[in-house]
Amino acid sequence: MKFLLKIFDKNRHHFEEGGKLRLFKPVFDATENFHFSPATRTIFAPHLRDPLDVKRFMSTVIVALAPCVLLAVYFFGLRVLAVIFVSYAAGGIIEVLFAVVRKEEINEGFLVTGLLFPLILPPAIPLWMVAVGVMFGVLVGKELFGGTGRNLFNPALVGRCFLAIAYPKAMSSNWINPVLEFPGRMTQYVTSLNTDAISAATPLALAKQGNWAGIPNLLFGNVSGSIGETSAIAIIAGGIFLLFTRVANWRTVVGTLGSFAALGFVMHLANPQIFGPVVWHLLAGGLLFGAFFMATDPVSSPITNGGKWIYGTIIGVVTLLIRNLTGYVEGVMFAILLGNIAAPILDEIIVKIRLRKLKNER
Amino acid sequence: MENNKQHCGLCKPEGLFEGKGKITLKDGIWENNPISIQILGVCSALAVTNRLENSLVMGAALIFVCIGTNLFVSLLRNVTPRRIRMIAEVAIIATFVILFDQFLKAFYWDMSKRLGPYVGLIITNCIVMGRAEAFALQNRPMVSILDGAANGIGYAIVLAIIGFSRELLGTGNIMGFTILSDTWYTPNQLMVLAPGAFIALGFLIAVFNAIKGPEEESAS
Repeated sequence: MKFLLKIFDKNRHHFEEGGKLRLFKPVFDATENFHFSPATRTIFAPHLRDPLDVKRFMSTVIVALAPCVLLAVYFFGLRVLAVIFVSYAAGGIIEVLFAVVRKEEINEGFLVTGLLFPLILPPAIPLWMVAVGVMFGVLVGKELFGGTGRNLFNPALVGRCFLAIAYPKAMSSNWINPVLEFPGRMTQYVTSLNTDAISAATPLALAKQGNWAGIPNLLFGNVSGSIGETSAIAIIAGGIFLLFTRVANWRTVVGTLGSFAALGFVMHLANPQIFGPVVWHLLAGGLLFGAFFMATDPVSSPITNGGKWIYGTIIGVVTLLIRNLTGYVEGVMFAILLGNIAAPILDEIIVKIRLRKLKNER
Repeated sequence: MENNKQHCGLCKPEGLFEGKGKITLKDGIWENNPISIQILGVCSALAVTNRLENSLVMGAALIFVCIGTNLFVSLLRNVTPRRIRMIAEVAIIATFVILFDQFLKAFYWDMSKRLGPYVGLIITNCIVMGRAEAFALQNRPMVSILDGAANGIGYAIVLAIIGFSRELLGTGNIMGFTILSDTWYTPNQLMVLAPGAFIALGFLIAVFNAIKGPEEESAS
């Protein structure tokens, strides 16, 4: 490690004011921060030592996502890695560009967006679409609102929404059939030209035709679907890790899944023709992934606890309604984006209510 | 009649395109562009710009209506009682809009069908009304014509740029000619839908603002 530190110290002057490479100071800072903890200290009190900065926050999420990525590579093959790589590269370019132009630090926030985004895409999607989508998501979803921490929407979902509307055909057909027998597809690189491996429909689409995938398959992820969403076990494992480290807030997750389950149960009793069994619907599609990893995004979800409950409920109910009553097969993406829109208003309302209560008590 | 000869201080006797005329032109097309700076008339800018052809016709319609309205409002400015000036302006605007609409229906029926109600809705376009109120009521006819033309052109240019980019990205064609062949280009269907118009307009305004440079804080 000493060796690395020496390299950084030796080259620092190039990036300082007046140095040859001063334009690229954000890149230098980011690389240094990635290896060592930042040397900057707060000047004024209060001094609070807490290892949980944005960097730790983000690396926790990445650790939590690891099981999903590993199982995806097993079931869908090396193509998954290519999609992730393109997402990081293309989104990173926008991120660095903005950091250089605005003379700000490169933010670790993109490490998570760049991994979440590929996980909600069909595995055999053309790689250029991945690049276009992540660039749009980072540019319009995040940077135009002022960068990390100021975005109204989840940038990964903005990117996916853009792709889903712009290229509906590619976004609804490039699913890969998983292989369960060892070694899965771990040694294969499946593209959309390989028609044997490409499947036209996800479990949710098949269910609309009355063809229900088995629950064990949904649990393990032995079904077609977006890269990270297929294996319920991997998502729950990662999700519980997030809840324990308190990176994700349990109120949002319980609100989302609870409202979905409650309303789904009632609807299933009322009309089993349209509304499928609750447990099956909880495990299928992107609901679990959305509830644990996308809805809990600390930036685009409400801050107040009451707001989180309502926000989760909105997402759960809207997902159920879109899934069962519209032409769309899956509604988690739209539901979370709608929740994101409502989040600031919910906070405002909750705070107002609390203030009024305080006034009355006085 | 004394009023007519009043000079505004900026006017110089050299000619229409010097002095105030030049400022008026530049103001309408660039400095105070009705769409990109004042964000007026956005509804039609979003609705008809999915094809370049539609955008051009709509731009032409607005240039025509703006010029006609400004001319007549300016001619009548000294005989219009202040209290009914709005209704008088609307009557003038409506006359020109209907003229253009009938012209389209008579000679370009397909285009008229494609633009649907949006030609008629020019009556409610705040650009036309705004220019009549803010400019033509206070200025002489020739300069008013210039102002109408400048604002109409400013609007038409923005519409043409949006229409061009939306049609090109959304279908790969421009006015029926294939530019981006579908052997390698996948049309971006978002661009022909309404959200694509919002995004295109947003980026256009951002580019215009970047070229203009940061806005100077007015000393108020």
